[in-house]
Amino acid sequence: MTETSPTATASGPTLPAALETELQREESRETYVQLVWRRFRRSRISIFGGLMILMLTVLAVFSDFFSPTDPTKIDMKATFTPPQKVRFIDNEGQFSLRPFTYLQVYSFHPETLEPVWVDDEETKYSLRFFVRGWEYQLLGFIPMDRHLYGVEEGGTVYLLGTDKLGRDLFGRVCQAGRISLALSLFAALISIAVGSVLGVISGYYLGWIDGLLQRFVEVVQSIPALPLWMALASVVPITWDPLLVFVIMASIFALIGWTVLAREVRGKVLAFRETDFILAAKEMGASDTRVIFRHLYPHALSHVIVVLTLQIPQIILAEAFLSFLGLGIQEPLISWGYLMRDSNSLETLGVNPWILSPAAFIVIAVLGFNFLGDGLRDAADPYATA
Amino acid sequence: MSQTTPLPAPQDDVILEVTDLKQHFPIRRGLLQRVVGHVKAVDGVSFQMQAQEALGLVGESGCGKTTTGRSILRLYEPTAGEVWYTRPDGERVELTQLSPGEMKVYRRDLRMIFQDPFSSLNPRLTVMDIIGEPLVIHRVARGRAEIAERVAELMEAVGLNPNYMGRYPHEFSGGQRQRIGLARTLSLNPKIIIADEPVSALDVSVQAQVLNLLQELKDQLGLTLLFIAHDLSVVEHICDRIAVMYLGQIVEIDDAEKLLRQPAHPYTEALVSAVPPADPDIRMERIILEGDVPNPANPPPGCVFHPRCRYAEDVCREEQPELQNLGGGRQSRCHFAAELTLQGIG
Repeated sequence: MTETSPTATASGPTLPAALETELQREESRETYVQLVWRRFRRSRISIFGGLMILMLTVLAVFSDFFSPTDPTKIDMKATFTPPQKVRFIDNEGQFSLRPFTYLQVYSFHPETLEPVWVDDEETKYSLRFFVRGWEYQLLGFIPMDRHLYGVEEGGTVYLLGTDKLGRDLFGRVCQAGRISLALSLFAALISIAVGSVLGVISGYYLGWIDGLLQRFVEVVQSIPALPLWMALASVVPITWDPLLVFVIMASIFALIGWTVLAREVRGKVLAFRETDFILAAKEMGASDTRVIFRHLYPHALSHVIVVLTLQIPQIILAEAFLSFLGLGIQEPLISWGYLMRDSNSLETLGVNPWILSPAAFIVIAVLGFNFLGDGLRDAADPYATA
Repeated sequence: MSQTTPLPAPQDDVILEVTDLKQHFPIRRGLLQRVVGHVKAVDGVSFQMQAQEALGLVGESGCGKTTTGRSILRLYEPTAGEVWYTRPDGERVELTQLSPGEMKVYRRDLRMIFQDPFSSLNPRLTVMDIIGEPLVIHRVARGRAEIAERVAELMEAVGLNPNYMGRYPHEFSGGQRQRIGLARTLSLNPKIIIADEPVSALDVSVQAQVLNLLQELKDQLGLTLLFIAHDLSVVEHICDRIAVMYLGQIVEIDDAEKLLRQPAHPYTEALVSAVPPADPDIRMERIILEGDVPNPANPPPGCVFHPRCRYAEDVCREEQPELQNLGGGRQSRCHFAAELTLQGIG
């Protein structure tokens, strides 16, 4: 009748004590984060998604470092330059290890007389890494003038071409990522916070509070999102401080998402509030706050994190849409959606297709977050199989 | 109650006295959630417990045993009744009238063991956090080191290896989990433990171990134990006295030995007949109760047991019997308790 137990007595005569403690140390002690990570790793696509997000984030945060030309510098002599090719082989078929670009010059097509950019094959600018260029402040406070790449003085390298004011589009897109990503993360966090608080209150206290909150959620859900966003966004005065506009825009996007989460968190709380371990906590004399934060909410948290990663892409899309219409982000702030405003005329777009490139970044971001959320959903509850 | 024989215990030894405890849950229906009736889960339970005794509370599922335990600890707010707890300094406190803050003080002295060792431990906390939680809540130990030290002591006391305090509950077997629950219960040096079917979720082989451990700790620490179970054979080992519940009422209380040998209530007789005798040669008549436990929202008139009682007569259908003293600490809620000779063990 001996229960197989890890008690000191039951571990038997097999292992020497030192080895045994060694094994114990190695075997267990995995924190929640480690457990989640172990399961998350199994899903290749989520790792890929995570890397996509990481790449965009790095590009956005260090956008100045990645742009050889100051993205705010207006150059009317270089409007709508097509993406410049970085070459290894010159027009005579000679290979050079150091990549280079040709100078692009404006001319007219010999037959149609359309204005076109052609490579001036006489003027080569070789590409260098970690070059000195225009001055900026890394992370907003470290003065620097190094850039990841660039060409010699006088030359240019526009990887994604330029916009109608001759600004480097790649640099602009990287910079726009700051607002697009930060705004959507911030808005999603607001929505998560509001949804969690109201969901927990609703599910834990029940009664008339619950009734009231649920009716409120229903009312909010029944308001059509798009017109509401448009109405709210259009009343934000563009003359306000950009930071304030940013916060207000984030709050507007947070408006809709929280209701779904509040419902879900309420459901989670309802499911757990009657379990024995909650009863046990009350039996010990735990306060409501303790019961909620230590025992109830952690069980909803994994779900909340997943909702967070899935809500961010929705907000990115909504923001892009509004900004594209001119209702969202305004200069001096720029976002991916705002950059795409240039492409709203079919004519311009037909001649200069590269100005649509911000859309690619939106696609990468949305896919990345969705892949990430997918893997997190599976990994977030490592105790589910327990 | 007509003839009152004084209860055997001297009054000053009573550590817990429950008087006419009632727990009625409202049944709500419809859009407006109007109360259309009450489930009388506990309907007038009274008993006393002497210090350091073990009282068994038995009855079939749904008879209100668990609810009684939880109402005493005010996990459910009792509808009516009093619960008097005698503090170690001799002062008596009525628990049902205390504010939650005042009650918290007595939660250290009155603790509970839960039935299901799987659902009663938070799966996201380590064993150390689980056992140490009462220490944190009641500010008994401060700092991780002090808590870890106390948790290690407790784990040793219940037969667990303290090296495993960083583990999560799912890494343990059912029996070990119940030991964790036991350690958590003991962490504040309680005086009274309400054990709510602490072994019914365990394998039979492990049941005995946990029961023995509970018995040992009870003797060692001088605990008073209210042991809730649906199985008389589990209770008879550990309990000094047994109270039998049926449909929210206590139908019989007696010394364990006497109750088993000579039941004074037909329901007890039926329960006792279900206990397998230790001697396989003994053939006992197994009394099979007909029908089901009545709906506690709509109990039958008269004696609540009469629809299933084989001795029932007209008076049983009309008059509700009182819990009457039969002398020697024996109480029975049967009109014919004195007349019937009922079959017991052996």
